Amino acid sequence: MLDDQEIKRLLLRAAARDEGAADAFGRLYRLTASLVLGVAQRVVGRRELAEEVLHDTFVKIWNAAATFDPLANQPVAWMVAIARNRALDLVASADHARVESVSDLAGEDDSDAVLDRFYDWSENAAGADEAEDLRRARGFLRRCLGELAAVERQALVLAYHHGMSHGDLAAHLAKPLGTVKTWVRRGMDNLRACVEHCMDPRSDAGHAMKGER
Amino acid sequence: MRFSSHRLLDALCGEYLVGTLRGRPRRRFERALKQEPLVAARLAYWQRTYALRPSNDMRVQPDPNTWRRLEADLDLAKYRRPWWQRVGLWRLWATAATAALVVVIGMQVQVFEGQRQLVEVAKLAGKDQPPTVTASLSKDRQFLELRSVRPIEAGPQQSYELWLIPKEGGAPLSLAVLGRLDARLIVPSAQRARLQAGATLAVSVEPAGGSPTGAPTGPVILVGAIQT
Repeated sequence: MLDDQEIKRLLLRAAARDEGAADAFGRLYRLTASLVLGVAQRVVGRRELAEEVLHDTFVKIWNAAATFDPLANQPVAWMVAIARNRALDLVASADHARVESVSDLAGEDDSDAVLDRFYDWSENAAGADEAEDLRRARGFLRRCLGELAAVERQALVLAYHHGMSHGDLAAHLAKPLGTVKTWVRRGMDNLRACVEHCMDPRSDAGHAMKGER
Repeated sequence: MRFSSHRLLDALCGEYLVGTLRGRPRRRFERALKQEPLVAARLAYWQRTYALRPSNDMRVQPDPNTWRRLEADLDLAKYRRPWWQRVGLWRLWATAATAALVVVIGMQVQVFEGQRQLVEVAKLAGKDQPPTVTASLSKDRQFLELRSVRPIEAGPQQSYELWLIPKEGGAPLSLAVLGRLDARLIVPSAQRARLQAGATLAVSVEPAGGSPTGAPTGPVILVGAIQT
């Protein structure tokens, strides 16, 4: 399991640019590169493009390490966001057959199974020092994803996990573009309403979740 | 970029995170992110609450070449302590070797005290450079002196090694290991006859204490033909 405190420490060490910076950066790479590559691989579909994303992501991380704010940012989420942005840039510019590569999803087509297998929902996913509200938010998020209409959940998972654009979704699900756009938009809207309702201290859901633990 | 309402802003943040905001709208949103604190703050909230944490099943082992490329592209060697500094023993050994060298040179210089008449026999120069070192030899070829126009000293982990390349060709023969290129030395008796017109003198850079193999291993920095 990745410990956020350790990742933060390595990022700050790399940002110091002293004689220990390269070793810290190397350790950061050993801990997280396969995760970054896995995220990139699912978005871009092709292995050699994913390795490009991995390379570019760590160049960015090395150069931006000094701007990483350990108080405001979750380090793994920060790194994954950089990788996802780079991957989305690449799929937008590469004229490769996106839908074709996605059609071969190898058992990653069931959105609930994808969510449970490829994402970590456990209490201690980020280590012992994670803020309490973030731990709770993770539980709410999974529960609210489960409560979405199946088509909305599927559209969100295909877009997020497999990097599908609206056009890819329409082709993959054989639905009109307007329909899949609505699913994505409504899915996010319902997800937000549900999570915010759970986070509200006056809500029943919040109390219920607390009581469960 | 102006957002008519928080509802629109939330919709954009959501689609940005999910990844369905693409192309020019995505660029526009990223510009707004830099210019408008409200947009940045709202996205930060979204990222904090809705970022999914990948599990270990997500991992795909990278190609080792990707790390090698990163190391080269980012010049990471600059941010690493040189390996010999991490091994304390090595330092000790290098110091000892340098000290031993000083003793050897000192002994050679002592023997040399009985001065003899020296004749300049060669000018040594780097490739396409003017000569920087002159070599002089005693009549009996027992003593060789090097004089440089400016001080040339080896670094702490290096030595210079002086080689003789015989007139008839063949492998270079080691004449001396030096800390600096101002030196007087006794020519090994086996090489004296070979110090003649047509032979060549050369200086290479070697690890402290001299070439470990008996042949030049480092770059040759000076070369000059013997003319008598």
